[in-house]
Amino acid sequence: MIDSTSLSTVVLGLTQVMLTLLVAPLLLGVTRRVKARLQYRRGPSLIQPYRDLAKWWQKQSVESDAASPLTAAAPAIVLAAVLVATMLVPIVGQRPPLDGWGDLLVVVGLMALGRFVLALSALDAGSAFGGMGSSREVAIATLVEPALLLALTGAALAAGSTDLGAIATIGAASGVSWYTPALLLAAGAFALVAVAETGHEPVDNPDTHLELTMIHEGMLLEASGPRLAVLMYAAELKLVLVAGLLAAAFLPVGMAAELTPVTLLIAIAAALGKLTGAAVLLGLLDATFAKVRILALPGLLAIASIVAVVGLATRLWLPT
Amino acid sequence: MSIASALGEATSGPLLAAIAALLALSTVSAIGPRGRANPPGLSLGLSAMACVGIFVLGVVTVASGIPVVASAGDVLGFAPIDVRYDSLGGLFLIALGAAGAASSVFGIGYRGHGGTVPDRTAAAYPVFVASLALVFGAADVFAFLFAWELMALSSAILVFGSRPDREVARAGYLYLALTHLATAALVVAFAILASAAGTMAFSSFGRAAADLSPEVRGLVFVLVLVGFGTKAGAIPFHVWLPRAHPVAPSHVSALMSGVMIKAGVYGIVRFGLEILGPGPQWWGLLVLAMGVASAVLGVLYALMEHDLKRLLAFHSIENIGIILIGVGVAILAFGEGATAVAGVALTAALFHTLNHALFKSVLFLAAGSIQSAVGSRDLNVLGGLARAMPVTALAFGIGAAAISGLPPLNGFASEWLTFQGLIGAGGDGSLSLVARSAVLLGVGALGLTAALAVACFVKATGMTFLALPRSPAAANAKETARSMGFAMASLAIACVGVGIAAGPVSAVIAGISGGVIGQRPVTATGPAVPVVGIDAVYAAGRLAVLLFIVAGTVWYVAVRRRQTRRAATWTCGIVPEPAFEYTATSYAKLIRLYFGSVLRPAREVTVELHPGTPFPRTIRYHGEVSHVIDERLYHPLHRTAVGAAELIRRLQSGSLQLYLGYSVVALVALLLLAR
Repeated sequence: MIDSTSLSTVVLGLTQVMLTLLVAPLLLGVTRRVKARLQYRRGPSLIQPYRDLAKWWQKQSVESDAASPLTAAAPAIVLAAVLVATMLVPIVGQRPPLDGWGDLLVVVGLMALGRFVLALSALDAGSAFGGMGSSREVAIATLVEPALLLALTGAALAAGSTDLGAIATIGAASGVSWYTPALLLAAGAFALVAVAETGHEPVDNPDTHLELTMIHEGMLLEASGPRLAVLMYAAELKLVLVAGLLAAAFLPVGMAAELTPVTLLIAIAAALGKLTGAAVLLGLLDATFAKVRILALPGLLAIASIVAVVGLATRLWLPT
Repeated sequence: MSIASALGEATSGPLLAAIAALLALSTVSAIGPRGRANPPGLSLGLSAMACVGIFVLGVVTVASGIPVVASAGDVLGFAPIDVRYDSLGGLFLIALGAAGAASSVFGIGYRGHGGTVPDRTAAAYPVFVASLALVFGAADVFAFLFAWELMALSSAILVFGSRPDREVARAGYLYLALTHLATAALVVAFAILASAAGTMAFSSFGRAAADLSPEVRGLVFVLVLVGFGTKAGAIPFHVWLPRAHPVAPSHVSALMSGVMIKAGVYGIVRFGLEILGPGPQWWGLLVLAMGVASAVLGVLYALMEHDLKRLLAFHSIENIGIILIGVGVAILAFGEGATAVAGVALTAALFHTLNHALFKSVLFLAAGSIQSAVGSRDLNVLGGLARAMPVTALAFGIGAAAISGLPPLNGFASEWLTFQGLIGAGGDGSLSLVARSAVLLGVGALGLTAALAVACFVKATGMTFLALPRSPAAANAKETARSMGFAMASLAIACVGVGIAAGPVSAVIAGISGGVIGQRPVTATGPAVPVVGIDAVYAAGRLAVLLFIVAGTVWYVAVRRRQTRRAATWTCGIVPEPAFEYTATSYAKLIRLYFGSVLRPAREVTVELHPGTPFPRTIRYHGEVSHVIDERLYHPLHRTAVGAAELIRRLQSGSLQLYLGYSVVALVALLLLAR
């Protein structure tokens, strides 16, 4: 028995899954194009990331002879973690595709699962560069995760729930009154750590292949062929995930509450707009910011934690 | 329920007798005829059977909800030993039974500690198990203190072993000293409660505690926290733990870290929460602060370790911290009348207690397996063990993912619930603003802890099992005995199973915590973890299946069906060797510098040149971090104590005449006083 509510959930969910899976590489193309234009270059085509994935897919994988079976399993686990996490975030509809499966803490947990497996597999080949990328990734994550959780807690308190569907629904229903000072501070904190979490300037340079500056690229250095394609695709999908999380908690506009052709079109347009906007902003950051020295990162990322704490304090202590 | 309770009443008596008999036999068979030691197989086998019995007893107690009451009679000669296992005690019995059975089976094949020579101190192992089982059910002061001391002494014997070297002896004495300070605090707390109640039975302590003045109740609470906090290894009472746990044989370490320190948690919940009841705000804030300090400092110090078992010992401090965060929120919310949130937080703490027993045991057992195979637990000489020791590697990997709080494993489920308790309390308008602010800061602290734990276990797992072996011993390692593999695998499977069944398991634990705070939390049923007050779900089972399907499909399409060529790692044209790999120390360097204000790392580099040239012949590097609690609290304390002892020593000249003189002075003084 399929009633109209569950039908709309299924259609909106499927739309979101298809949309996010399809546009993920495009967003990388957008970021690169913006960066290139700001540097007075033409830059590669918008669909170059798709071509890269196709090229890697056709190649043979080369595996280090020092590697354990983890190297073969890691790309699949990393992609599965990001994919399932993306399905827990409402991007098109106000309820996520996997409605009632997990809340924002589960999303953060799945991101940690992906990081754990990727950072481990980077050590597997016994290369110094893998170790370098891996140790940097887990160290920076220790600065990111407290701020991420504190910022999301700000949104959860505003909605009275850690469930992302509830946050998006209540946020959309509240209209302008959703944007309290407390929530705006949380949004600012989240935006700051989102840059670190997706590996962009001023924390990481996604285009670098200079060994000593790599973080995420360093961890992928030993991957090749279809495995590289899977890991790169997971990284592209992670941008969708983080941008979707930001939008669901702090910009819940345009998302479909129920299914009609009009709301669906608006929802798709809004989702595409938000995701593209995030990609453009990252391109702007990449082009205009220099990388911060890795030892100076605590100073930068602590700002996010402090802003998030100030946001929570504002919610509790300021009279409303 | 009625069938379960009928079954419980019918079976619990014979079960208790069987457990006691098996453990007694196990003790006897470890010693053997004429005081010589037997090989440990028989004794440990009997212990394992007893632990299965303990597990069943725990399940019966929790499932029936009816306390199991028994008396061993007046075996001490002056007071009867009475036990009463309610469902809270039953939960700890389940943890003891599971971790104990696996540890005992593991111990049968274990050859990592003192070779194959039978060891008479092994007779303390069944006594240790028995004392733990007794602690969780002791119904009065005498029974409890008897079990408590037996637990301390038997575990101390196991730490010392039969031939303690200097390091082991120091660790053992420190452990003994601190555990007795803890007992002293408990004796005072019990004395206050018993004199108020007029009886030694715990069952009447609750009513008596309610009549005490606020100051005395506060004193009892602090004493309880000192006594049980020391046993739990919570900061600042933790100094014995990272020294004593690593030197014990691995199956004992597993039991000490997995279960014994939980006796401290049991005590804080039983006495600090259930018997003392709702308290003022500072109680909860104190426990919360202890929890946050233990969690963050514990994991930071763990990251700085490259001895695998010391690293795991510091993680026990971290996990006790996570548990105490839950207990602290529960005490805070309970004290301010928010029983719903208190129920969530206490459920989280008890769930994490059970989970930690499972994953910390598997990690310690795997560390023992590595020590057996390689002869070392120094991460800087391990490496590449995943291919030679697949069972150990997989078990350790699952334990590492569980302790790092990664879905869909059990560690994530209880950390998720802890976060729900924190966020729920933070959003609860009935709580005071101070309490809400404190718990919301706890969200950041727990997030930091979780991220640091991921970093630490990537380091520990990677350095141990991945890349090239860093020593010949690691290169020649072989998988250890079947029994050890079986023990590790069953615990790893339990970690996965409890993680997937997080919903039903936490629903049962919610019932237990409801019994403690006098109101059962409102819970949802079904596959989701139940949550109170907040509309949130974590459907562990469904998520695990979906993750498995997606990962399996991707693996099949992108890896399994594709050709792979194996080649040497590219190292800029040089032959790859282990020296190129990141070491445990270098892996943690960035974190060492990021958290330098706490860790205060010191490094010393000595370069020796070839005479007359600028070229170095040798470069020596030495780095260490400082342990702030040791240096700021225990070293001054130690210096003061030694100084005082020096002063008192001046009285001790060794001259008989002087001592007679002291006696005369003392006699005269007494006569004058008694005049």
